Amino acid sequence: MTFQHFWDTYALMLGKAILTHLGYVFVAVSCGTVVAIILGVLLTRLPKMSKFIMPVLSVFQTIPGIVFIGILFIYIGMVPKTVLIALSIYAVFPVLKNTYAGIINVEDKYREAARGCGMSSWQIMFRVELPLAMPTIMTGIRMATVYTVSWAVLAAMIGQGGLGEFIYRGLGTNNNTLIIIGAIPAAIMAVLLGHGIDRLQKAVTPRGMRKED
Amino acid sequence: MIEYRNVTKSYGGKQVVKNLNLTIADGEFVVLIGPSGCGKTTTLKMLNRLIEMDSGEILINGKNVAEYNPEKLRRNIGYVIQQIGLFPNMTVEENICVVPKLLKWDKERMHKRVLELLELVGMTYEESGKKYPNEMSGGQQQRIGVLRALAAEPPIILMDEPFGALDPITRDSLQDEVKQLQKRLGITTIFVTHDMNEAIKMADRIVFMSGGEILQADTPEEMLRAPANDTVREFMGKHVAKTRMDDPALHCGDVMKKKVLTAESSKKTLECLELMSAREVDSLVVVDSARKYLGIVTIEALRERGEAGRPITELLDTSAPTVQVDEPAQQAFGKLLASKALNYVIVLDEQQRVVGIITRTSMSKALASVVWGVKK
Repeated sequence: MTFQHFWDTYALMLGKAILTHLGYVFVAVSCGTVVAIILGVLLTRLPKMSKFIMPVLSVFQTIPGIVFIGILFIYIGMVPKTVLIALSIYAVFPVLKNTYAGIINVEDKYREAARGCGMSSWQIMFRVELPLAMPTIMTGIRMATVYTVSWAVLAAMIGQGGLGEFIYRGLGTNNNTLIIIGAIPAAIMAVLLGHGIDRLQKAVTPRGMRKED
Repeated sequence: MIEYRNVTKSYGGKQVVKNLNLTIADGEFVVLIGPSGCGKTTTLKMLNRLIEMDSGEILINGKNVAEYNPEKLRRNIGYVIQQIGLFPNMTVEENICVVPKLLKWDKERMHKRVLELLELVGMTYEESGKKYPNEMSGGQQQRIGVLRALAAEPPIILMDEPFGALDPITRDSLQDEVKQLQKRLGITTIFVTHDMNEAIKMADRIVFMSGGEILQADTPEEMLRAPANDTVREFMGKHVAKTRMDDPALHCGDVMKKKVLTAESSKKTLECLELMSAREVDSLVVVDSARKYLGIVTIEALRERGEAGRPITELLDTSAPTVQVDEPAQQAFGKLLASKALNYVIVLDEQQRVVGIITRTSMSKALASVVWGVKK
């Protein structure tokens, strides 16, 4: 198979698959992050419950994605919604964990100063705790993004497109080229998105909080 | 005016503040001091309700603090903590404006206030306004910490060991600055420390606490002069009295001046007069050829009985007070204060040789070292 032939056959399909894949990642990470930050903030307000909830969530995270998508598929059906819900839930875990840890690890002196200045509990959260936890939260979002790129491959399992389609088709027809066409863009996507988030994080971190290199 | 009335606070059945009563006048600088765990920080934090009291009341200008919304109360009371606690995600300007922002000042007013405050501590906006805390030294950071507390022009400011983490030189200059600012702005200040030198330097009134109770509340002067009991005395001793006046470890040799104007006994009247007028003194210590002490010769004796060629041994006054070099300095001070005629005491070694004199100046130097804890 010449490259020309190959390009003619798959270029359009690959483009579409990359876009679909990116779409899954973007929506899932966005939804997951919003949910995770809200949950993380709430959990820091309930320290007693958190001691119990955080380990349980960690266990959840170990359930293979394939099992989870399979179960959701039974209830929701073969629609993109199934994929998005499953991916979003998986994206929640790393962000939630880091949000919680980031806020809990904010040094007490800042809370003390904020309280002494007359900030309310929510003002302390938004003006002090969340900004100071932001680097840790961003690390969580980065992890969630990289993971989601690989988990999104599973979308093809229930016929919902993305780069997984090449991989599944390649596996089914014993065509290594197809597997590689799916796998390499996914790997590149993970690296590029991770890199992009790093740059974003650097850009939004105030000078006063950058670690001295 | 701030009034603590029968204020009590316990933690886990242990009373850390016991039935405390204290009145603080407007513009007064009160230092709470005492050993750790004496309840001084708790007393401070109950005022802005960072800690809620169990019983009793605290009134500010007659109004019970419990009637305020705690956040609104705190916005009207400046607060400085030992760990500084400037927000690292905010610039100096933003840090100073934390409270004004909570009070919803407009931008222009906030900016004007920042310029004004930076000027108070000799900093410029161009140089420091846009800096982040981690780009400044600890001393500079705490200056900003103080400004943050002053930003919304509160009538009261609370300081919880604000200079405890700074090096001695920075601490010293910040103490001066804060004291000056406080006087100038007339802010009622409550200041917690465990450093007696700091307390003496800063306070209008020192409140000594121990075991949740006030043992003594007095001016620094009174506190040094008459500690209320042994606990206070011991604490003061630990901090200031490495060289106490009645400390037997402080010897005459430690406080004496070593340069003594002496005249050998072979000298005659006119020689001595010449010497005295050249050095602008009114008496000379007379020694023999081995520097052994013989007595003194005063200007009065020279004028009344002196004549050209008359040896000074005939004019000697041997009643001048002397001490031994290894005697406690307290002895010398006592003799000095008792002697009306002479304004110094002569210090002798075992062989009765003159080794120095103790004047009123040496006494005040020793006194100063008691107050400030500086050796000699």
